[in-house]
Amino acid sequence: MTGNTAEAEDLTQEAFLQLFRKIATFRGESAFSTWLHRLAVNVVLMHLRKKGLQQISLDETDTSQEEPVKRDYGDDDRRLVGSIDRVSLTRAIQDLPPGYRAVFVLHDIEGYEHNEIAEIMNCSVGNSKSQLHKARLKLRDRLKEDRRKEFLGATIPVDKPNGKGLR
Amino acid sequence: MTERDFQPTPGCAQFDRELMDYLEGEARPFVSTHARECAFCSVLLADLEQLRFSARQLPLQEPSPSVWANLHARLEQEGLIRPRVRGWDWLESLRALARPAPLGALASLAILGAMFIASPIALQVPESAASVSTAPQAAVVASASFADDRELARMTQDLEATFRANEGLLAPETRDTYEKGLTSLDDSIRECKDSLRQKPDNTLAQDYLLTAYTRKAEILTTALEFQGR
Repeated sequence: MTGNTAEAEDLTQEAFLQLFRKIATFRGESAFSTWLHRLAVNVVLMHLRKKGLQQISLDETDTSQEEPVKRDYGDDDRRLVGSIDRVSLTRAIQDLPPGYRAVFVLHDIEGYEHNEIAEIMNCSVGNSKSQLHKARLKLRDRLKEDRRKEFLGATIPVDKPNGKGLR
Repeated sequence: MTERDFQPTPGCAQFDRELMDYLEGEARPFVSTHARECAFCSVLLADLEQLRFSARQLPLQEPSPSVWANLHARLEQEGLIRPRVRGWDWLESLRALARPAPLGALASLAILGAMFIASPIALQVPESAASVSTAPQAAVVASASFADDRELARMTQDLEATFRANEGLLAPETRDTYEKGLTSLDDSIRECKDSLRQKPDNTLAQDYLLTAYTRKAEILTTALEFQGR
């Protein structure tokens, strides 16, 4: 969620400290894992707030729903199938806005269900689904853009007739 | 063909509206039907499914060991956990005990242990030689006599007596755990004594005996501390 290993480790430590400080406040109203994850997510969100990073409120009105989804024709050079490597995907996830990133990481990477995410992130199940969908579309756009750049880099000649390279 | 060539149809708009629910596992037959007919939407669907698959393959990162070490230090610093007991640190836990008898016995045992470690040869000195020793041999003789089984047993017995007097304070499962540990150590002590009876110069048995007594003292000490909470 932070996009930075050192920062993530600091926040892991902070989350566990909070766990020890607040364990007495756990009343068993939710699964312990959900409670713990919510605590951890809160630590991260507080940190991001302190850093002044733009956050997407998961309960804000979704105005982008009506925007048409970008499409490319089924050209093998452009489609993502079989071309998503871990490094590109990790980088693209890191560049997502924090709210999108949190839902995507919780659902698509860590395997949480939307009702659990809703509880963790304090939002509705519908918003969790909507944010996840938008996160996936954003990731797709980003990965296709990377792929397009790669494709152009591979096809544009390195050396022009005047001897000056483009790269 | 690219986005510039894309002319959305009403079917594509419906595809967009139903795509999210379809990916969430809801029955949306229109999505798959339309994807078979529209190359643009087909690529979109394939991309999103591939993305979902690839995300699931990403490894979850484990924090480095330093995170846990730092966390442990912070928790200790804030008094949220007690310092880790290791090696001879168990003697520190005696500070919490306000029981002079076991404390004295344990201190004697510690001194005895130090003497054993410092002069293992002392254990091999026959008692007959010790009884006619000269001044320089006095310390060795003292160590040898101090190593008497009965002396060791008396020290741990003091600790055990205090433990027994208060064992009712422990939860049954905790008491069972301590009992198992003590029974096992008593068995070891018995075996060592048997070996030493047959072969008094068996240094390995002597070492094991000391270790067993020390370990028993550790267990009794932690048990007494537990009872004192």
